[in-house]
Amino acid sequence: MNTYLTDILQSGALMITTITGIVLLLVEANRRGRPATSFALAIVGLLAAGMTALIQMPAHGTGFSGMVQTGGFASFFAALFAVAGAMTIALSRSYLARIGWFRGEYAILTVFAVVGMMLIAASNDLIILFLGVELMSVCLYVLAGLARVRDRSNEAALKYFLLGAFATGFLLYGIALIYGAVGSTNFEAISAAFPAISAHIMFLAGAGLVVVGLSFKVSAVPFHMWAPDVYEGAPTTVSALMSTAAKAAAFSGFLVLFVRTFHFVGAGLNTVLAVIAAASMILGNVVAIAQTNIKRMLAYSSIAHAGYMLAGVAAANAIGLMGVAFYLVAYAFMNIGAFAVVSMVEDDHEQHLTLDDYAGLSKQRPLVAALMAVFMFALAGVPPFAGFFGKYYVFLAAVEGKMTWLAIVGVLTSLISAYYYLRIVVLMYFRDGAADVAAKPSVLTMVTVVLAALLVLQLGITPSVVVQAAQRFF
Amino acid sequence: MDHIDILITLAKIVAAFAFLILGAAMTVLLERRVSAFIQNRIGPNRVGPGGLIQPFADVAKLVMKEDIVPRSANRFIHDMAPMISIGVALSTFAIVPFGNGIDIFGRHVKLMIADVNIGMLYLLALTSVGVYGITLAGWSSNNKYSLLGGLRSSAQLISYELSMGLSLIGVLMIAGTLRLDEIVLRQTQYIGGILPKWNIFLQPLGFITFVIASFAETNRLPFDLPEAEPELVGGYHTEYSGMKFGLFFLAEYANMITSSAIITTLFLGGWDVPYIEGLGLAPLTLALVQVGGFLVKVALVVLFYIIVRWTIPRFRYDQLMNLGWKVMLPLAIANALGTGLVLLLIA
Amino acid sequence: MMLAAAAAFAVIMAKINEIVGPRRETDEKVTTYESGMEPVRTARERFSVKYYMVAVLFILFDIEIVFLYPWAVSFRQLGLHGFVVMFVFMFVLLVGFVYVWRKGALEWD
Repeated sequence: MNTYLTDILQSGALMITTITGIVLLLVEANRRGRPATSFALAIVGLLAAGMTALIQMPAHGTGFSGMVQTGGFASFFAALFAVAGAMTIALSRSYLARIGWFRGEYAILTVFAVVGMMLIAASNDLIILFLGVELMSVCLYVLAGLARVRDRSNEAALKYFLLGAFATGFLLYGIALIYGAVGSTNFEAISAAFPAISAHIMFLAGAGLVVVGLSFKVSAVPFHMWAPDVYEGAPTTVSALMSTAAKAAAFSGFLVLFVRTFHFVGAGLNTVLAVIAAASMILGNVVAIAQTNIKRMLAYSSIAHAGYMLAGVAAANAIGLMGVAFYLVAYAFMNIGAFAVVSMVEDDHEQHLTLDDYAGLSKQRPLVAALMAVFMFALAGVPPFAGFFGKYYVFLAAVEGKMTWLAIVGVLTSLISAYYYLRIVVLMYFRDGAADVAAKPSVLTMVTVVLAALLVLQLGITPSVVVQAAQRFF
Repeated sequence: MDHIDILITLAKIVAAFAFLILGAAMTVLLERRVSAFIQNRIGPNRVGPGGLIQPFADVAKLVMKEDIVPRSANRFIHDMAPMISIGVALSTFAIVPFGNGIDIFGRHVKLMIADVNIGMLYLLALTSVGVYGITLAGWSSNNKYSLLGGLRSSAQLISYELSMGLSLIGVLMIAGTLRLDEIVLRQTQYIGGILPKWNIFLQPLGFITFVIASFAETNRLPFDLPEAEPELVGGYHTEYSGMKFGLFFLAEYANMITSSAIITTLFLGGWDVPYIEGLGLAPLTLALVQVGGFLVKVALVVLFYIIVRWTIPRFRYDQLMNLGWKVMLPLAIANALGTGLVLLLIA
Repeated sequence: MMLAAAAAFAVIMAKINEIVGPRRETDEKVTTYESGMEPVRTARERFSVKYYMVAVLFILFDIEIVFLYPWAVSFRQLGLHGFVVMFVFMFVLLVGFVYVWRKGALEWD
């Protein structure tokens, strides 16, 4: 009994989020409960979980009979997921009300998706990792199809579900093979089996399949096909959650598994990851140029960013890991911000989503345009903003990891990406257009977006705060 | 396992088969006679003494009939469905202990066909498979009545399977085993020296939910919506004729007997005949008396089935589902948790 | 063995019927039965989503039961600790059940 109590206290963020989800279910079951209540409760619960995670970060250990990790790495990511979740819920409040899908279930599903993400980051066992991936994915499938009378939303949900289920199959089979090779699903036991196991064919096959499964979740080439359609079809704020927190969760899975457990071993695996990274960077950035729909453009850009981060994982050294952790935090805020602006410009019937609709935005909504410019510069990796340091660390890691070619690909594709990010800035400031932005954004939305922009700026100026926190885990 | 063991098993299978099939035939006759009695008419009494041969004449008739498969049906599945139904109905009986072990030819023989150590799970698994027979029959016929009957029935069966499974949790907690023969052995003592320690007395709520769920699982009135003649013609077996229809019919009655046997085993003390130890019978006689006791109990439960059929009208579909999900399921869960609490308090 | 015997019995009975029974197919006979009417379209159409709901809920609760069985069998060994842990599990599940109930997924009208 007592051991469980300490376990529960130690993984406080996870528990608080779970309890929030259960309370939300009960609130929603009560017919008098209004969605606004659920949304407020979810935000409060997630922020509380985030605070708890930050407080518990210094203490590091394992709990629940070695099934989960507590503190440290898990807390770092738990805080990120909680904040990202709270931000998307805050952003969705007025957006969903506008498009007519303001439902309490949105908050519930988001909270449970965050629980799943936290489980991935906290996993100390393959089973928990799988459980987290599933919990997160199932919630996201439903969220993608939230606006269920919209054709595109339906398409997104179905496509995501079918492909996601397929990818889950790969992940599970990989887990089974690893278990077969090692004889345990516990990370410490797997870790202890090295280096004897590193050339075992069954282990390598299993690890390869896990790479496939997780690559799907981070939408890396060649497992990226779903991303543009799903990001386009899902409600915009859901796309924000999928492209940031969910991606970060899958990356935390990569870090936990390939770095902590597999000890950087298997040069073959690293090469595979590097190739995937390079392909993602090239394909994502080149195809993004051709997009006219802003959500699709952001989807391809998100594929490209997955490539940058994978470069850090493939480099397999301390700088790379710290860089990926930092990149994930920075990317979460810039992309949530970008999608938030998209949700503000979008009208109630899936219109105003093309790039041309951004022409002349600076005249109509100067503040919104300025914020969008910040996010675009940050995504492009222009120095004062957070995106720059993310890329800097990741490419530095690639060079140190004797993968200079990967860094060169990264820098070149970053240059390509500048074209389409800055095109939006140009459209907003130097073109005249009949852009009539829909309703005036609500205060809550504006506050959240401004907060995201400030964080992006802050992280760009003083990256050391996050970097130092991240350095301690590896 | 040597030859004699195989022979013994074969003998047991033959005995169980004979019991089930003859029993089903007798149940059909019994049902017809009882219903005739309740409706104040005579019922079949011409074929053989008191109509005893009637069911066999029926089977002979069915076998001689043409086996019609509709043109638009899926032939393979249409053939498969009744086989699944009857196969499940017959094989469930394998785990029912119909008597205590006897010593014969110098070896100990357990009076059950398959001594499965996860008997209860086997039971649940097979009832799940039984759903396939009816659902596939409904779907493969490509007939609207059949499809509706099949759908209704699969929804009903799976709904009540939950309460059935949950109501057994209490029994399991008390017995601490999944083996049916041990569950019976636990029931052979007495509470306070007088009342037999049957689970019906320890688990009254569990017993009631289990019996209701069993009625639903066997598609008996008041839960016979899958075949509801006035609205659905014949339900899932509308398009069946000949012996394939006969197999469904047989399966229904075999299921009835099997579930009576299960109820007897789990709640009514199985082969336990109370107060018999005092008589000082020879072991073999004792075993035979116990088998007899088991048979009598099963017969009584079957009779109960039949009487209920002519007492209670059919449910409406929404009432059926409401009962299953909103009454039975919470009751069964409450029973499981309540049993746990009581056991904890005693310990 | 009982399984094999039961399967054999089923197949034999069905086959006997095919052998012994007459076979005189006519066009009318092999048409789908629809109370004497000409069949209108096929039966393979969409049916109420309610059935899917029931199936999904069944899966959830059935898995719960499978969890409960081993727990129930070893209940006496697990003692209070086991009871509390399972109570928490059941509670979470019941919250979902209450939600489903209140949302009207169990209504048939």
